[in-house]
Amino acid sequence: MRISTAPAAVVHIVDDDVPFLTAAARLLKASGFDVRIFASAAEFLAQRDVNAPGCVVADLHMPGMDGLELQTTLARTREPLPILFLTGQGDIPATVRAMRGGAEDFLEKRAPKEKLIDAVKRALLRDERERSQRARRREVRALLDSLTQRQLEVLSHIVRGRLNKQIADDLGIHERTVKAHRGAITAKLGVPSVAELTRLTQEAGLFTESSSTFPKGQ
Amino acid sequence: MSWVTVLWSMTVAACLTLALVHLLVWFQEKKAWGYLLFALSAIGTSGIAACELWMMRSQTTAQFGAALRWVHVPILLVMLALVGFVRVYLRAGRLWLGWIVCMTRVLTLALNFYFTPNLNFREITALRPIRFLGEWVSTAQGVPNSWMLLAQASLALFIVFLLDSMNTLWRRGERRHSLILCGSMSLFVILGTVQGAMIMWGVAPMPLTVSIFYTGLVGAMGYELSRDVLHAAQLARDLGESEKRMKLAVQSADLGLWIWNIADGEVWATEKCRQLFGFAADESLNYETFNARLHPEDRASTGLAVQQALSDHGMYETQYRVALPGGTERWLSAMGQGEYDAKGNPTRMLGVCVDISARRRSELEAEELRQTLAHASRVTMLGQLASALAHELSQPLGAILRNAEAAELFLQSSSPDIEEVLAILADIRKDDQRAGGVIERMRALLKRGDLDAKPVDVAEMVEEVVRFVRADAVARRVIIETRVANALPPVRGDPVQIQQVLLNLILNGMDALNGKTDGERRVAVHAEASGAGVIEIAVSDSGHGIPLDKAGNLFDPFFTTKPHGLGIGLTISRTIIEAHGGKIAAENHPQGGAKFRVTLPVAANERKS
Repeated sequence: MRISTAPAAVVHIVDDDVPFLTAAARLLKASGFDVRIFASAAEFLAQRDVNAPGCVVADLHMPGMDGLELQTTLARTREPLPILFLTGQGDIPATVRAMRGGAEDFLEKRAPKEKLIDAVKRALLRDERERSQRARRREVRALLDSLTQRQLEVLSHIVRGRLNKQIADDLGIHERTVKAHRGAITAKLGVPSVAELTRLTQEAGLFTESSSTFPKGQ
Repeated sequence: MSWVTVLWSMTVAACLTLALVHLLVWFQEKKAWGYLLFALSAIGTSGIAACELWMMRSQTTAQFGAALRWVHVPILLVMLALVGFVRVYLRAGRLWLGWIVCMTRVLTLALNFYFTPNLNFREITALRPIRFLGEWVSTAQGVPNSWMLLAQASLALFIVFLLDSMNTLWRRGERRHSLILCGSMSLFVILGTVQGAMIMWGVAPMPLTVSIFYTGLVGAMGYELSRDVLHAAQLARDLGESEKRMKLAVQSADLGLWIWNIADGEVWATEKCRQLFGFAADESLNYETFNARLHPEDRASTGLAVQQALSDHGMYETQYRVALPGGTERWLSAMGQGEYDAKGNPTRMLGVCVDISARRRSELEAEELRQTLAHASRVTMLGQLASALAHELSQPLGAILRNAEAAELFLQSSSPDIEEVLAILADIRKDDQRAGGVIERMRALLKRGDLDAKPVDVAEMVEEVVRFVRADAVARRVIIETRVANALPPVRGDPVQIQQVLLNLILNGMDALNGKTDGERRVAVHAEASGAGVIEIAVSDSGHGIPLDKAGNLFDPFFTTKPHGLGIGLTISRTIIEAHGGKIAAENHPQGGAKFRVTLPVAANERKS
C-alpha cells in the first residue's frame, strides 16, 4: 500500500464492454494499481476526480463518444491524463490519429499482460512528470502576474539579452529607470541572474511562439 | 412440178432435221432420254412419209405391196418411241398397257413379214390411179387381210394408252402437257388410224397420208420440247442471279464458305475462306490442309466438335485459332452442318467461318478485367468478414485472457481470495459462451436466405454451366466433355446454387490441369442416376489428382493447394450441397486426376410417380 498525503494515482478504465472492463480491472488491481471503471466516456468525464493523478485506459471503439473524441476532450481540461488505447483490431488511420494526439500507447485487447502493465506504468510516470510541470508553471505564472505591465515589458527585453542602455533607448526612457524596474523584478521573482530569469519565463511559456502542453515531436 | 413429191419430201426433210437436232442435244446430255425418243419418233415419221410416197408413185402391184409392207417398220418405231416418251418424259401412262401396245405391234410386224404381200392385203389385184392434189397417184385394189385387225387393235390400245396418260397429266395439274402433247398425239393417231382403216378396208378410195398427221404430232412435240428448253434456260438464269445475290451477301458479311466432300476429302472454299486460312486461290484443299492450319492446341477440340456434329446429325459451332504461314494468328468463329445419304451416313459438310480476332481481343481483355475484379471483390468481402469476426471475438477473448491473468495473480498471493477467483472463472465461462455465440451468429448470417427449392432439370443445368465456361475453356485450351444420361428425373433445389457448385468444381478442375499438355487437358462432367432417387453429377479432371496427405482437409475452410486460392470454394460447395440434402465427396481416378461426386436427391413428386 502506498502511503502518501497526495491522492493516489488511479488507473481509469473506460470500456462499453462490461465483462472486459471487469476483467481488465481485476488484472490491474491484482497487479497493484488503484483502478476505477467507467462504462462510457461521458460517465468518466462526469465522475472523474480532476485532482487525482493517474491515467486512462480506453477502448477505441465505443458507442456515443469514442476513444479519440475522449482524447481530444480530455486534452482541453485543466488536468489532462495520459491515455492508453485498447482495441479489438488494428486500425491504421485511428492509430495514427491517436498517436498524433499524444496517446501513450495503442494496444490490442489481447496484448500480453506485461505490455499492458508496462504501458500503464509509463503512463502513470508521465502523468506524474507532467503534473509537476503544470504545478511549477502555475507557480511561476502567479509570480509573473505580480509584475506591472511596464516591468513585463522590461523583462521581455532582458530575456532577449539586451543591455540596460539599449532597453532605455528602445522604450524611450532613462537608463536609471530601467535599472529601477530591473531591481523590482528581481526582488519580486527572487531571481538575480539573467539566465535564471530566462529559464523562468520559458517554464511559464512566456514570450514564446508555441505554448503546446505536450512535448514536441509527438 | 409435183406437189405430192414436194410435200412428202419436205415432210421427210423436216422430220429428219428435227430428229438430227434433238439427237445432237441428246448426245450432249445423255440422261435426257426424252430427246432421243423424240428423235426416234421423228425418224419413224419420216420413214412413214417415204413409204407413202413410194406407194403413191408405185407402177406395179408388187411395188405397192412392198411399200405397204415396209411402212410397218417406221410405224412400229414411232409407236415404241411414243410409248417410251410418254413413260420417260411425261412420267405418265400405265406400264402394263404400254407393254401390251408394244408387244401387239411387234407381233403385227412379224405377221406383216409372214404374209405376202403384207398384213393389209391377201392379194393386191390392181393399182387404181386417182387424182390427188392435181395429179395422178396410185392406190391399191385387192383382198383385205383380216389379220389387219390386229394392227388396228394395237392402234386402238395405243389410243387408250394415250387418253389415259392425258387424263393422268390433267389430274396432276400438267394441263399444258396433257392437252398439247397427249391431246395432239391422241388426235393425230386417231386420224391416222381411221384413215388407214378406211383405205385398207376399201371404204375410201384415197392414198395413205398418215405421215402428214404424224408430222403434226412431231411438230407439237418439238414445240413443247423447245418450250421446256427455254424454261430450263430461264431457270438457269434465275439461278445465276440468285447465286450472284448470295455471293454479294456473303461478301458483305465477310463470311468464308466451304463445302467438304467427305467421300474424297476434297474441300471447296470461297476466296474469302481461302484468305482467312491463308490459302492461295488455286491451291487444292482437303480436310488435312485445313486441319494443318489450325492452331495445334485447337485441333483436338475442333475435330471433336465436327465429329460430334456429324454423329448427332446436328450443327457445330466453335471458335479456334488459325496459325497463318507468316506466323500471325487469327481467331475464327465457325459453324457447320452435315448432309446425309438415305442411310444416314454423312456425305458432305457445309460451313461458314468469320474472323473474330478483334472481338476476341477485347473479350479477352474484358475477361481478364472481370476476373481481377471478381478476385478483388472476393478478397475484400473475405477481408471484411475476417475483420468483423476479429472485432467481435476480440472482446470476449480479451476478457477471458485478462480474467485468467488476474486469477493467476490472485492465486499467487499469500491469502488468495477464493470467492474472487470463483467469480472470475464464472466470467470466463460466460465469455466463452459469448465467443461461441458470435461464431453461431456469423454462421447463421452466411446461411441467410432460404433455399429456393424447385425441380431442376439436370441436363439443362449441366448444359448451361458448360456453356458458361466454354469461352474460358477454349482460352485455357481445355476440352470439356459432358455426358448426361437420358431421361434423368429432375432434382430438387436452387438451380443457381447448384450451378455455383458445379462451376466451382469445373473451374477447380481446369486449375488442376496446370502443367499438362494439350490433349491431356480434359474436364468431364457426367450425370447419371445413382441408386434409388439419387442423381450423381461427377466432375473429373485429367490433372495430377489430390495429394494423399491433403485429402482429409480438402473441404476445410481456408484450406487451399492453389498459390492464390482463398480456400473457401469447396467449403461453400459442401454447405450448399448439404443444405440440398445431398453429399459431396472427392477421390482420385485410378488413371489419374481428381473426381468430385455430387449426389442430390430426386425431386419428391418424381419419386412417388
